Amino acid sequence: MKAYLHARAEKLIAQERVEGISPAERDWLGGHLRECSNCAQVAQQTSAALRALRGMSIPLPRGLAARTQFRVQLRAQELREREPKRRLLWIMCAMSWALGIATAPYVWRAFEWAGERIGVPRLVWEMGFGLWWTIPALVAAVVVLMENARLANENDPSA
Amino acid sequence: MTATFTILTPTPSRSIFFFSTRMAEDNKALAQGLKRRDPDILDQLIEQYQYRLFRYLLYLTSSRERAEDFFQETWIRVLERGHQYDGKFKFEAWLFRIARNLVIDWQRQKKMQSLDALTDPEQGAPMEFAAQNEPSPLLLVLTAEEKSGVHASLDRIPTVYREVLLLRFQEELGLEEIAGVLAAPLSTVKSRLYRGLEALRGAMQGGAA
Repeated sequence: MKAYLHARAEKLIAQERVEGISPAERDWLGGHLRECSNCAQVAQQTSAALRALRGMSIPLPRGLAARTQFRVQLRAQELREREPKRRLLWIMCAMSWALGIATAPYVWRAFEWAGERIGVPRLVWEMGFGLWWTIPALVAAVVVLMENARLANENDPSA
Repeated sequence: MTATFTILTPTPSRSIFFFSTRMAEDNKALAQGLKRRDPDILDQLIEQYQYRLFRYLLYLTSSRERAEDFFQETWIRVLERGHQYDGKFKFEAWLFRIARNLVIDWQRQKKMQSLDALTDPEQGAPMEFAAQNEPSPLLLVLTAEEKSGVHASLDRIPTVYREVLLLRFQEELGLEEIAGVLAAPLSTVKSRLYRGLEALRGAMQGGAA
Protein backbone atom coordinates (compact mmCIF):
# COMPACT_ATOMS: atom_id res chain seq x y z
CA MET A 1 0.00 0.00 0.00
CA LYS A 2 1.26 3.47 -0.83
CA ALA A 3 2.73 5.68 1.92
CA TYR A 4 0.46 8.64 1.20
CA LEU A 5 -2.60 6.50 1.98
CA HIS A 6 -1.23 5.77 5.46
CA ALA A 7 -0.43 9.46 5.93
CA ARG A 8 -3.98 10.37 4.92
CA ALA A 9 -5.40 7.76 7.27
CA GLU A 10 -3.33 9.04 10.20
CA LYS A 11 -4.38 12.59 9.44
CA LEU A 12 -8.06 11.59 9.36
CA ILE A 13 -7.73 9.61 12.60
CA ALA A 14 -6.60 12.76 14.39
CA GLN A 15 -8.98 15.05 12.51
CA GLU A 16 -11.96 12.89 13.43
CA ARG A 17 -11.22 13.51 17.13
CA VAL A 18 -10.29 17.18 16.83
CA GLU A 19 -12.74 18.77 14.38
CA GLY A 20 -14.68 15.92 12.80
CA ILE A 21 -14.65 14.42 9.28
CA SER A 22 -17.21 14.08 6.50
CA PRO A 23 -19.21 10.83 6.00
CA ALA A 24 -17.24 10.12 2.80
CA GLU A 25 -13.94 10.49 4.66
CA ARG A 26 -15.27 8.25 7.44
CA ASP A 27 -16.19 5.56 4.92
CA TRP A 28 -12.77 5.76 3.31
CA LEU A 29 -11.03 5.63 6.70
CA GLY A 30 -13.14 2.64 7.81
CA GLY A 31 -12.21 0.78 4.64
CA HIS A 32 -8.53 1.58 5.07
CA LEU A 33 -8.46 0.55 8.72
CA ARG A 34 -10.00 -2.83 7.82
CA GLU A 35 -7.13 -3.46 5.42
CA CYS A 36 -4.20 -1.84 7.24
CA SER A 37 -3.26 -3.24 10.62
CA ASN A 38 -0.68 -0.51 11.34
CA CYS A 39 -3.17 2.32 10.86
CA ALA A 40 -5.79 0.34 12.81
CA GLN A 41 -3.30 0.17 15.66
CA VAL A 42 -2.75 3.95 15.50
CA ALA A 43 -6.53 4.45 15.66
CA GLN A 44 -6.77 2.10 18.65
CA GLN A 45 -3.90 3.83 20.44
CA THR A 46 -5.49 7.24 19.85
CA SER A 47 -8.84 6.03 21.17
CA ALA A 48 -7.17 4.42 24.18
CA ALA A 49 -5.22 7.61 24.95
CA LEU A 50 -8.36 9.74 24.81
CA ARG A 51 -10.36 7.22 26.83
CA ALA A 52 -7.68 7.31 29.51
CA LEU A 53 -7.58 11.11 29.38
CA ARG A 54 -11.35 11.35 29.81
CA GLY A 55 -11.43 8.80 32.60
CA MET A 56 -8.55 10.34 34.50
CA SER A 57 -9.23 11.69 37.99
CA ILE A 58 -7.25 13.75 40.46
CA PRO A 59 -7.71 13.98 44.22
CA LEU A 60 -9.43 17.20 45.27
CA PRO A 61 -8.01 18.93 48.38
CA ARG A 62 -10.31 18.52 51.36
CA GLY A 63 -12.34 21.62 52.20
CA LEU A 64 -11.11 23.60 49.21
CA ALA A 65 -14.59 24.71 48.19
CA ALA A 66 -15.55 25.67 51.76
CA ARG A 67 -12.34 27.66 52.26
CA THR A 68 -12.86 29.42 48.96
CA GLN A 69 -16.51 30.18 49.70
CA PHE A 70 -15.46 31.70 53.01
CA ARG A 71 -12.81 33.90 51.36
CA VAL A 72 -15.20 34.96 48.62
CA GLN A 73 -17.88 35.89 51.18
CA LEU A 74 -15.36 37.98 53.13
CA ARG A 75 -14.27 39.75 49.98
CA ALA A 76 -17.90 40.32 48.95
CA GLN A 77 -18.57 41.89 52.34
CA GLU A 78 -15.51 44.12 51.95
CA LEU A 79 -16.69 45.23 48.53
CA ARG A 80 -20.20 45.90 49.82
CA GLU A 81 -18.77 48.04 52.62
CA ARG A 82 -16.60 49.95 50.17
CA GLU A 83 -19.42 50.55 47.71
CA PRO A 84 -21.00 53.56 49.55
CA LYS A 85 -17.56 55.24 49.76
CA ARG A 86 -17.02 54.80 46.06
CA ARG A 87 -20.51 56.06 45.30
CA LEU A 88 -19.90 59.07 47.53
CA LEU A 89 -16.69 59.82 45.64
CA TRP A 90 -18.54 59.80 42.31
CA ILE A 91 -21.35 61.96 43.72
CA MET A 92 -18.79 64.44 45.03
CA CYS A 93 -17.02 64.51 41.68
CA ALA A 94 -20.30 65.12 39.87
CA MET A 95 -21.30 67.87 42.31
CA SER A 96 -17.88 69.46 42.05
CA TRP A 97 -18.14 69.44 38.26
CA ALA A 98 -21.66 70.91 38.29
CA LEU A 99 -20.71 73.61 40.79
CA GLY A 100 -17.57 74.36 38.80
CA ILE A 101 -19.64 74.94 35.67
CA ALA A 102 -22.25 77.03 37.49
CA THR A 103 -19.75 79.23 39.29
CA ALA A 104 -17.17 79.57 36.49
CA PRO A 105 -18.18 83.13 35.42
CA TYR A 106 -18.11 84.40 39.01
CA VAL A 107 -14.79 82.69 39.77
CA TRP A 108 -13.37 84.13 36.56
CA ARG A 109 -14.34 87.61 37.69
CA ALA A 110 -12.94 86.93 41.16
CA PHE A 111 -9.61 85.84 39.67
CA GLU A 112 -9.61 88.86 37.38
CA TRP A 113 -10.33 91.23 40.27
CA ALA A 114 -7.69 89.59 42.51
CA GLY A 115 -5.16 89.63 39.66
CA GLU A 116 -5.67 93.35 39.10
CA ARG A 117 -5.50 94.11 42.81
CA ILE A 118 -2.26 92.16 43.30
CA GLY A 119 -0.92 93.37 39.99
CA VAL A 120 0.00 90.03 38.44
CA PRO A 121 0.06 89.60 34.64
CA ARG A 122 -3.17 88.44 32.98
CA LEU A 123 -1.58 85.12 31.93
CA VAL A 124 -0.77 84.25 35.55
CA TRP A 125 -4.27 84.69 36.95
CA GLU A 126 -5.72 82.91 33.90
CA MET A 127 -3.43 79.96 34.64
CA GLY A 128 -4.54 80.13 38.27
CA PHE A 129 -8.14 79.90 37.13
CA GLY A 130 -7.29 76.86 34.97
CA LEU A 131 -5.55 75.19 37.91
CA TRP A 132 -8.54 75.87 40.16
CA TRP A 133 -10.64 73.97 37.61
CA THR A 134 -8.35 70.92 37.40
CA ILE A 135 -7.68 70.45 41.14
CA PRO A 136 -10.89 68.44 41.94
CA ALA A 137 -10.30 66.15 38.95
CA LEU A 138 -6.66 65.64 39.96
CA VAL A 139 -7.61 64.78 43.55
CA ALA A 140 -10.26 62.29 42.33
CA ALA A 141 -7.76 60.71 39.90
CA VAL A 142 -5.16 60.30 42.66
CA VAL A 143 -7.74 58.71 44.98
CA VAL A 144 -8.90 56.26 42.28
CA LEU A 145 -5.31 55.34 41.32
CA MET A 146 -4.35 54.73 44.95
CA GLU A 147 -7.44 52.58 45.43
CA ASN A 148 -6.62 50.51 42.32
CA ALA A 149 -3.00 50.03 43.40
CA ARG A 150 -4.16 48.88 46.84
CA LEU A 151 -6.63 46.42 45.26
CA ALA A 152 -3.92 45.05 42.95
CA ASN A 153 -1.63 44.44 45.94
CA GLU A 154 -4.41 42.70 47.85
CA ASN A 155 -5.21 40.46 44.90
CA ASP A 156 -1.63 39.43 44.11
CA PRO A 157 -1.51 35.66 44.77
CA SER A 158 2.29 35.62 44.77
CA ALA A 159 2.49 38.30 47.46
CA MET B 1 -31.60 35.00 48.46
CA THR B 2 -31.90 31.96 46.27
CA ALA B 3 -29.97 31.09 43.16
CA THR B 4 -31.87 31.88 40.00
CA PHE B 5 -30.20 29.53 37.55
CA THR B 6 -30.48 25.80 37.18
CA ILE B 7 -27.96 23.19 36.17
CA LEU B 8 -29.06 21.56 32.94
CA THR B 9 -28.41 17.99 32.01
CA PRO B 10 -29.05 17.10 28.39
CA THR B 11 -31.54 14.31 27.75
CA PRO B 12 -32.13 12.71 24.36
CA SER B 13 -35.81 13.75 24.39
CA ARG B 14 -35.00 17.46 24.41
CA SER B 15 -34.30 19.10 21.12
CA ILE B 16 -30.95 20.80 20.59
CA PHE B 17 -32.72 24.10 19.96
CA PHE B 18 -34.61 23.94 23.23
CA PHE B 19 -31.45 22.98 25.08
CA SER B 20 -29.38 25.80 23.63
CA THR B 21 -32.16 28.32 24.28
CA ARG B 22 -32.41 27.20 27.90
CA MET B 23 -28.65 27.33 28.21
CA ALA B 24 -28.57 30.89 26.85
CA GLU B 25 -31.32 31.86 29.33
CA ASP B 26 -29.37 30.24 32.16
CA ASN B 27 -26.20 32.03 31.14
CA LYS B 28 -28.07 35.33 31.16
CA ALA B 29 -29.49 34.62 34.62
CA LEU B 30 -26.00 33.68 35.72
CA ALA B 31 -24.56 36.91 34.29
CA GLN B 32 -27.19 38.94 36.14
CA GLY B 33 -26.42 37.08 39.37
CA LEU B 34 -22.70 37.73 38.97
CA LYS B 35 -23.37 41.39 38.28
CA ARG B 36 -25.30 41.56 41.57
CA ARG B 37 -22.51 39.62 43.30
CA ASP B 38 -25.16 37.22 44.54
CA PRO B 39 -23.46 35.13 47.26
CA ASP B 40 -25.71 32.10 46.72
CA ILE B 41 -24.85 31.92 43.04
CA LEU B 42 -21.15 32.21 43.78
CA ASP B 43 -21.35 29.46 46.41
CA GLN B 44 -23.17 27.23 43.97
CA LEU B 45 -20.69 27.92 41.19
CA ILE B 46 -17.71 27.16 43.43
CA GLU B 47 -19.27 23.83 44.35
CA GLN B 48 -20.20 23.03 40.79
CA TYR B 49 -16.88 23.87 39.15
CA GLN B 50 -14.43 23.02 41.93
CA TYR B 51 -13.21 19.79 40.42
CA ARG B 52 -12.88 21.04 36.85
CA LEU B 53 -11.17 24.29 37.78
CA PHE B 54 -8.78 22.63 40.20
CA ARG B 55 -7.89 19.95 37.65
CA TYR B 56 -7.23 22.59 35.00
CA LEU B 57 -5.06 24.63 37.36
CA LEU B 58 -3.19 21.57 38.59
CA TYR B 59 -2.24 20.58 35.05
CA LEU B 60 -1.38 24.17 34.22
CA THR B 61 0.85 24.80 37.22
CA SER B 62 1.98 21.25 38.06
CA SER B 63 1.79 22.22 41.72
CA ARG B 64 -0.96 21.37 44.17
CA GLU B 65 -0.28 24.33 46.47
CA ARG B 66 -0.09 26.77 43.61
CA ALA B 67 -3.26 25.34 42.07
CA GLU B 68 -5.08 25.81 45.40
CA ASP B 69 -3.91 29.44 45.61
CA PHE B 70 -4.98 30.16 42.07
CA PHE B 71 -8.28 28.39 42.63
CA GLN B 72 -9.15 30.82 45.40
CA GLU B 73 -7.83 33.82 43.52
CA THR B 74 -9.85 32.85 40.46
CA TRP B 75 -13.09 32.94 42.43
CA ILE B 76 -12.17 36.26 44.03
CA ARG B 77 -11.62 37.57 40.51
CA VAL B 78 -14.99 36.13 39.43
CA LEU B 79 -16.61 38.03 42.29
CA GLU B 80 -14.86 41.29 41.45
CA ARG B 81 -15.25 41.11 37.69
CA GLY B 82 -18.54 39.28 37.49
CA HIS B 83 -20.08 42.24 35.69
CA GLN B 84 -17.78 41.51 32.72
CA TYR B 85 -19.44 38.13 32.04
CA ASP B 86 -22.20 38.81 29.53
CA GLY B 87 -23.62 35.29 29.29
CA LYS B 88 -23.01 34.98 25.56
CA PHE B 89 -20.51 32.16 26.02
CA LYS B 90 -20.23 29.21 28.36
CA PHE B 91 -19.40 30.23 31.89
CA GLU B 92 -16.60 27.67 32.16
CA ALA B 93 -14.77 29.17 29.16
CA TRP B 94 -14.79 32.56 30.91
CA LEU B 95 -13.77 30.94 34.20
CA PHE B 96 -10.83 29.11 32.64
CA ARG B 97 -9.72 32.27 30.91
CA ILE B 98 -9.60 34.14 34.23
CA ALA B 99 -7.66 31.29 35.83
CA ARG B 100 -5.25 31.13 32.91
CA ASN B 101 -4.62 34.89 32.96
CA LEU B 102 -3.82 34.72 36.68
CA VAL B 103 -1.29 31.95 36.08
CA ILE B 104 0.27 33.86 33.17
CA ASP B 105 0.54 37.05 35.26
CA TRP B 106 2.23 35.09 38.03
CA GLN B 107 4.62 33.41 35.61
CA ARG B 108 5.54 36.78 34.08
CA GLN B 109 6.15 38.25 37.51
CA LYS B 110 8.23 35.24 38.53
CA LYS B 111 10.26 35.49 35.33
CA MET B 112 10.88 39.19 35.85
CA GLN B 113 11.97 38.62 39.45
CA SER B 114 14.24 35.80 38.31
CA LEU B 115 15.77 37.99 35.63
CA ASP B 116 16.33 40.71 38.23
CA ALA B 117 18.10 38.19 40.42
CA LEU B 118 20.28 37.16 37.50
CA THR B 119 21.27 40.68 36.57
CA ASP B 120 21.48 42.26 39.99
CA PRO B 121 24.35 40.85 42.11
CA GLU B 122 22.82 42.49 45.22
CA GLN B 123 19.88 40.07 45.00
CA GLY B 124 22.01 37.12 46.12
CA ALA B 125 22.64 33.80 44.45
CA PRO B 126 21.79 33.48 40.76
CA MET B 127 18.64 31.63 39.72
CA GLU B 128 18.92 27.84 39.74
CA PHE B 129 16.97 25.73 37.32
CA ALA B 130 15.46 22.45 38.49
CA ALA B 131 17.29 19.39 37.25
CA GLN B 132 15.66 17.94 34.14
CA ASN B 133 15.53 14.38 35.51
CA GLU B 134 13.83 15.36 38.79
CA PRO B 135 10.14 14.41 39.07
CA SER B 136 7.75 17.32 38.63
CA PRO B 137 5.57 18.44 41.58
CA LEU B 138 2.59 17.00 39.72
CA LEU B 139 4.09 13.53 39.69
CA LEU B 140 4.94 13.82 43.37
CA VAL B 141 1.28 14.21 44.36
CA LEU B 142 0.12 11.18 42.40
CA THR B 143 -0.10 7.64 43.62
CA ALA B 144 2.12 4.92 42.13
CA GLU B 145 -0.76 3.66 40.02
CA GLU B 146 -1.49 7.10 38.64
CA LYS B 147 2.17 7.75 37.91
CA SER B 148 2.32 4.88 35.47
CA GLY B 149 -0.81 5.90 33.56
CA VAL B 150 -2.17 8.84 31.66
CA HIS B 151 -1.06 11.32 34.36
CA ALA B 152 2.56 10.48 33.76
CA SER B 153 2.07 10.62 30.00
CA LEU B 154 0.46 14.04 30.29
CA ASP B 155 3.29 15.23 32.48
CA ARG B 156 5.75 14.29 29.76
CA ILE B 157 4.18 16.51 27.12
CA PRO B 158 4.63 20.31 26.93
CA THR B 159 2.12 22.44 28.87
CA VAL B 160 0.74 24.17 25.76
CA TYR B 161 -0.35 20.81 24.34
CA ARG B 162 -1.50 19.43 27.68
CA GLU B 163 -3.71 22.45 28.18
CA VAL B 164 -5.58 22.18 24.87
CA LEU B 165 -6.00 18.41 25.26
CA LEU B 166 -7.60 18.94 28.65
CA LEU B 167 -9.88 21.70 27.43
CA ARG B 168 -10.99 19.71 24.40
CA PHE B 169 -11.27 16.15 25.66
CA GLN B 170 -11.94 16.57 29.37
CA GLU B 171 -13.80 19.86 29.49
CA GLU B 172 -15.42 19.15 26.11
CA LEU B 173 -15.07 22.79 25.05
CA GLY B 174 -15.55 23.67 21.39
CA LEU B 175 -12.60 24.80 19.29
CA GLU B 176 -13.79 28.41 19.30
CA GLU B 177 -14.33 28.35 23.05
CA ILE B 178 -10.78 27.07 23.52
CA ALA B 179 -9.54 29.85 21.25
CA GLY B 180 -11.39 32.27 23.55
CA VAL B 181 -9.81 30.81 26.68
CA LEU B 182 -6.34 30.92 25.15
CA ALA B 183 -6.90 34.26 23.37
CA ALA B 184 -5.32 32.57 20.35
CA PRO B 185 -6.43 32.07 16.73
CA LEU B 186 -8.44 28.97 15.83
CA SER B 187 -5.59 27.71 13.62
CA THR B 188 -3.22 27.76 16.62
CA VAL B 189 -5.71 25.78 18.71
CA LYS B 190 -6.08 23.16 15.97
CA SER B 191 -2.37 22.77 15.39
CA ARG B 192 -1.75 22.45 19.14
CA LEU B 193 -4.46 19.83 19.38
CA TYR B 194 -3.00 17.76 16.54
CA ARG B 195 0.50 17.97 17.96
CA GLY B 196 -0.77 17.33 21.47
CA LEU B 197 -2.69 14.26 20.38
CA GLU B 198 0.41 12.91 18.65
CA ALA B 199 2.56 13.71 21.69
CA LEU B 200 0.07 12.05 24.06
CA ARG B 201 -0.07 8.91 21.95
CA GLY B 202 3.71 8.85 21.79
CA ALA B 203 4.05 9.45 25.54
CA MET B 204 1.55 6.69 26.36
CA GLN B 205 3.34 4.26 24.08
CA GLY B 206 6.62 5.27 25.68
CA GLY B 207 5.18 4.77 29.14
CA ALA B 208 3.75 1.40 28.26
CA ALA B 209 6.98 0.21 26.68
